Amino acid sequence: MITNFNFRVVWEYMPLFMQGLRNTFLISLVSLILALAVGIIACGCRLSRWKLLRGLAIAYIESIRSTPLLVQIYFFYFGLPTLGLRVPELETGIIALMLNSGAYIAEIVRAGITSVSSGQIEAGISSGLSYFQRMRFIILPQALGVTVPPLLGQAIVLVKDSALLSLISVMELTRCGQELTSERFMPAEGFLTVAVLYLCIYYCLKPLAGWAQKKLIFREAY
Amino acid sequence: MIEFKNVNKWFGKLHVLRDINLEVPAGEVLVICGPSGSGKSTLIRCINRLEKFQKGELYVDGQPLHDHSINLTKLRADIGFVFQQFHLYPHMTALQNVTLAPINVRKMNRDEAEELGRRMLARVGLSDKADAYPAQLSGGQQQRVAIARGLAMSPKIMLFDEPTSALDPEMIGEVLDVMIQLAEEGMTMCVVTHEMGFARQVAHRVIFMDEGQLVETGKPDAFFDNPETERAAQFISKILTH
Amino acid sequence: MIAEYASRLIQIIPFFLKGLLMTVVVSGISLVLSTALGFILGILRTGRSRLVSRSIGLYVDVMRGTPFVVQIFIVFFILPEWGLQLDALPAAILALTAMTSAFICEVVAGGIRAVPKGQWEAAAASGLNKFQQLKLVILPQAMRTILPPLVGQYVLMIKDSSVVSVIGVTELTRVGWQTVVRIPEGLMVFTLVGVLYFVICYPLIRLSNSLEQRLSQESVRL
Repeated sequence: MITNFNFRVVWEYMPLFMQGLRNTFLISLVSLILALAVGIIACGCRLSRWKLLRGLAIAYIESIRSTPLLVQIYFFYFGLPTLGLRVPELETGIIALMLNSGAYIAEIVRAGITSVSSGQIEAGISSGLSYFQRMRFIILPQALGVTVPPLLGQAIVLVKDSALLSLISVMELTRCGQELTSERFMPAEGFLTVAVLYLCIYYCLKPLAGWAQKKLIFREAY
Repeated sequence: MIEFKNVNKWFGKLHVLRDINLEVPAGEVLVICGPSGSGKSTLIRCINRLEKFQKGELYVDGQPLHDHSINLTKLRADIGFVFQQFHLYPHMTALQNVTLAPINVRKMNRDEAEELGRRMLARVGLSDKADAYPAQLSGGQQQRVAIARGLAMSPKIMLFDEPTSALDPEMIGEVLDVMIQLAEEGMTMCVVTHEMGFARQVAHRVIFMDEGQLVETGKPDAFFDNPETERAAQFISKILTH
Repeated sequence: MIAEYASRLIQIIPFFLKGLLMTVVVSGISLVLSTALGFILGILRTGRSRLVSRSIGLYVDVMRGTPFVVQIFIVFFILPEWGLQLDALPAAILALTAMTSAFICEVVAGGIRAVPKGQWEAAAASGLNKFQQLKLVILPQAMRTILPPLVGQYVLMIKDSSVVSVIGVTELTRVGWQTVVRIPEGLMVFTLVGVLYFVICYPLIRLSNSLEQRLSQESVRL
């Protein structure tokens, strides 16, 4: 059944696939960086002493986590124009990805910070460190160890999530598969190639996550 | 009852049992001692095939354990095993721990099994703890439940793998008392332990192992007072000063 | 303005409820199937056969490493080329089950591995056979670790079911998409869609969290 797989067509479209791969990579990277910023801010609000800020952060995090990414993408894609905002598809997609991953990252960062035991903080206080010194020298270094592995996991999720931007016609990897399929009526050549390329990204990121897990988890020994 | 003939076992390259020859007749209480890493735990774990061995023959109750086609579950059902770390099932009460195998292996009905279970718990002095979960019991109590769990299958042999070495000193006595009582009732027992008092009181024979070899065999008093080999003498002086 | 909104809302709500029902049906069937398959795979994954375990690991990697939207395109467009023609609904259920069972497999395998080896030995020593050891001793303890992330996987699956709209299953997201083409009120339409997803997913997320807290507290007490 795989015998009539047309490698020549795949080769012919290879430049397009490579461009799609590059775009997927760039979209994921940009979204990840923005999402990190959003996530850290949201986490700060989530842990804030002010009720209003905390409430807003919780509402944001929970509503993102309880609804599908595709609905969020459509929300911005169809919703922004009704507000009179003309935003190109690519930017719309990145906004959706950023806000989506931001909510998950907020929770990852929060888990990292709260994982540092109160004994550590008390030890810091009793040796006379200020709030910022405690953050800088005690809490963040320890929290980082717990945070980096799931952040890499989130990066993997983000790469896969970016595939949904194909549905609002952003030219990323999955869209290239659709392109080949519709131009040549060859879904196998289109989508199997796309799947293999995604797997390549996955197999690059997976060992990294595993390595970070091993490298950084030592902090738990304390 | 148990017969080792030239049993050899390797963990990878490590030769952990070397040409073990040993016979344990029915009704004997055998104490196995030796420094850590000497293979004594591996030896008794072979008896119910928790460990496989590569060379030699081992007969337990007439069944050839070196033959891989024998019915393992049937064999294990007839052998009680008590672990150093108890390994009680944390999601079950003491009574459920004891009745699990009688109900599922012996196919006893529940009432009968519970009756039996309560009798076994009484035998180890824990009638009042039937409904307690392992986490609510002290180490000594947990180990006694583990013994009751083994006894509930009316085993032909009871194996003990350092049953008291995970216990606080004040709890060792209560577990040894149960084991002494068992020995006096004529149970066939193989006990890996360094408890000299127990060995002197009820053991028929003590064997000393070192580096996977059976180094010395003797009556308990003779062994502890006048060991024949240098290695055994060294070992005994260490556990005495300890 | 508000009255106009309200009347429009009331007009379209029945369609949305129908879509919601379809989402529940698709997710519900996939949930049952993927739980059964996931448990079987998870148990085999921890089994003694290296070959079986590795093959399942590869399957899990493929499912985890590729975007769901690509998976559903493969099921819907490529399987027919290989002689398996499926309607949209069975194709959606097949794709959701295939993906979710891979995730559940890892959850189950993780739970089983977390049970100390001594528990297997104790169960074996009292003469229980392999199946009894698993059923009576290991799985009841593993469920503690399995349950919270299992519910989490259900939430992910319900959200991913929004993607089956692309092959024409008229579930909630598809209804939103059809509506927005006719009534250009993107914000309102996809807010409504989001709220309906939220109604299902949020309680499940809370359930997962409280299970996690309760079960971990219990294990502290034990």
